[in-house]
Amino acid sequence: MKPAKEICPTTTKGKVAEGALLVDVRENDEVSELSFDVPNVMYIPLSEFEERYEEVPKDKEVVLVGKNGMNSLKATYFLMNHGWTNVVNMQHGLIRWVEKGFPTKGNVAAVQGKDTGSCCGAGSETSSCC
Amino acid sequence: MKTIKILGTGCPKCKQMESIVKEVVAEHNVDAEVIKVEDIMEIMQYNVMSTPVLVIDEEVTIKGRVPSKTEVADLLK
Repeated sequence: MKPAKEICPTTTKGKVAEGALLVDVRENDEVSELSFDVPNVMYIPLSEFEERYEEVPKDKEVVLVGKNGMNSLKATYFLMNHGWTNVVNMQHGLIRWVEKGFPTKGNVAAVQGKDTGSCCGAGSETSSCC
Repeated sequence: MKTIKILGTGCPKCKQMESIVKEVVAEHNVDAEVIKVEDIMEIMQYNVMSTPVLVIDEEVTIKGRVPSKTEVADLLK
């Protein structure tokens, strides 16, 4: 298996400006609390991903996003395993997106200070992204 | 000897599954090697979205939940 391509939030923001689609894999309650404020975004919660992955287009650039970049990485590999070649993962997820001050809708407190202790979380690494 | 893999990225449920499996293996004297797999790329070779996952001799048996000890013991018979 080839490693998934991963990009940071800053690169993601640039790709979004060029027309890339974000696929947010967070659960519905998380999305209703805080979401990415970008023109092209679709929502497929990880819990529904195995049933709904075919909704992800194959003909445009797609960036998988989540809370901290772990679940979206799983989703990226899942799509790659099913033949998608146009998918990349956004590292560090919405948490880093918020830290960067990038546009969101909702309550940013929903993700601030929550990078540890969550199920399958990325832990407490603090390295800076581009 | 059986090869038991627990796939999980370090979440509490994954750790619970690991300790349950190890307890069952010890209590029932199962001839098995228990391997914890935390690398997402390796986990995704099994194409599973929800962790933890219990893999016995390369077969995915339980995914996305913590099994009971009885359930694990039955799977290892």
